[in-house]
Amino acid sequence: MGSGGLAFATLGMGSASAAPLQAEGAYGEIGGATLSFLPKPKSIADKDIATTQTFDVVVVGAGASGVPAALSARENGATVACLQKQPIPVSQGNTGSGIDLKTSDKSAIEALVSRLMADNAHRSHPGLLRQWAYNSGEAVTWVIDRMKQSGGQVVDQGTKVQHGIRGIADQGDRLNFVTSFCGPKPYTTGDGIRALAKTAEKAGVKFFFNTPAQQLIQDESGKVVGVIAQTRDGKYHKFMAKKGVILSSGDYQNNKAMCDFFIPDLKNFERKQMDRTGDGFAMAYWAGGVIEPVGHTKMLHDFDAGPASMCDMPFLAVNRKGERFVNETVEMSLMNNYLKDEYNAGHYSQVFDSDYMTQAKDWPGHLYSPEELKDYMPEVPGEKKGVYPSLTNTYSANTLEELAVKLECDPKTFVASVNRYNELCKKGKDEDFGKPASKMVPVLKPPFYGIHRRMRISTLCSGILVNENHQVLDADGKEIPGLFIVGNLGAGFYGGVDYPLTVFGLSLGRCYTFGYLAGKYVAKL
Amino acid sequence: MKNLTIIFALVLGIFAANAIAKDNVLLDQTHAAKGIKCNSCHGTEARQAVTMLKCVQCHNTEKLALKTENVKPTNPHKNRHFATETDCAKCHHIHQKSENYCVGCHPRFDLVTP
Repeated sequence: MGSGGLAFATLGMGSASAAPLQAEGAYGEIGGATLSFLPKPKSIADKDIATTQTFDVVVVGAGASGVPAALSARENGATVACLQKQPIPVSQGNTGSGIDLKTSDKSAIEALVSRLMADNAHRSHPGLLRQWAYNSGEAVTWVIDRMKQSGGQVVDQGTKVQHGIRGIADQGDRLNFVTSFCGPKPYTTGDGIRALAKTAEKAGVKFFFNTPAQQLIQDESGKVVGVIAQTRDGKYHKFMAKKGVILSSGDYQNNKAMCDFFIPDLKNFERKQMDRTGDGFAMAYWAGGVIEPVGHTKMLHDFDAGPASMCDMPFLAVNRKGERFVNETVEMSLMNNYLKDEYNAGHYSQVFDSDYMTQAKDWPGHLYSPEELKDYMPEVPGEKKGVYPSLTNTYSANTLEELAVKLECDPKTFVASVNRYNELCKKGKDEDFGKPASKMVPVLKPPFYGIHRRMRISTLCSGILVNENHQVLDADGKEIPGLFIVGNLGAGFYGGVDYPLTVFGLSLGRCYTFGYLAGKYVAKL
Repeated sequence: MKNLTIIFALVLGIFAANAIAKDNVLLDQTHAAKGIKCNSCHGTEARQAVTMLKCVQCHNTEKLALKTENVKPTNPHKNRHFATETDCAKCHHIHQKSENYCVGCHPRFDLVTP
């Protein structure tokens, strides 16, 4: 070998010449393809383990599913360690939802399950959807209460904010929600989960920050009995789990090789999160777990540029250059599919004129008045409420040319698109994209408004196959003893091209619910 | 002779840097000017990569967060992603120009990174 530096460089490359490294350089295989993002764990000798601690339950990842799992296990009598890669608990979003069973009819709940199956291209595990449907009201109520115990800023918004569920239940059937809302921004579920972690800590959960899990420990029978994690000083530590390990380490959006393999469509989109390298995937794979088949589900949103409740309103929409590109009844959650090229990279703008309050009053969502819109306008001075001031991107202008410049579009192209759209509105026939005439509202009367949204990756929500107890299954469909998965690392809950926005807060609601249930289940083993 | 050349280059570098704008000074020069040697960070044997643990031996993250408390538009050393423990190397580079890591997502966070 040459210098030490060279030996270091060959490690990650799996090069054929490095024969002595072969034992350590093995990679996982899926469908006959050898995959560099599934490196076989290196063997860590017992002499290199600095400390060993034993708990009933070890949770890997302190996020929206991991913290509830840890607290729930603790409340059910287990001793619990929660390992976190980052220095603090991390979560995103505001809304986490469940169904209020007491005020809902079973036929309506089943209609919603059926609708979610369709949203997910019929690829979800109906049992997992039902597990959310029939347990989420209890779980979300529990999360709200435990967040509040440590001063979390969280309320139940109930059913009135669920604009997307209209028409799902039969007339006369009741379908009601417990909609937890951590906010308003800049407060988010990140803060809420940090409050929940305080409650968990008071209850006796031991948190270990800056301590990423590296690999799982299995006994001869294959049972998962613990985790090896590494602290910032490079030292390894064993966390033995008498009852089980719950992985809740989230998605892989920052692992380029994994994205290129499972969702190549993501190539040109910006990532909203950091350090999401899919560590749990490799750990679960090498313990015998199975990654959900290719065709993974993504989530790309922008609720910060303008009001979230106006995101699905079918105003005129133009791409980054200023061209109309879609029938605008397509929801924001799907818009990324039209904008995945390098130039557009997820950017588009919703455009409307000063009559929007009357013209769009019956459209899906909730309108913000011109006065309320000012909170989303970076050009308007003053203190902003309920937003991230660094991410707002709404503008108004007295001419179309001026608005085009503010929306970073080519003014000529933009004006031509608006004129063409106005012509089609007058005709009452959308010959370009087939939008219903009732949604063809012209852009005529200044001031004009534009919301420049950029679709970035919030999360990816496909993972490792589990059963209804959230226990990981091997390639033969058998349970792997001692290994459980919750949150976005768990498979089988989605399956469509994109995360559906039918139930606002389904994602966090599922994280809370499955964390709550899995923590209880493992504690009682 | 070789050592002398390096010292000469270093001295010249500091001199040149002083003559131009301060934000063009690379942090290796700033560290060298305070008497910190290569092996203070990279170790004495095979050259080691430098992790954040090395930075925090001298730089106290919580004190740093207090020092930049009033930086506008936001305090880069205390944020909602990592609290006070953001990996220094996300923004501060030692042998090349530092970067504003925040601005990729937050277009109006026009922070200047030494």
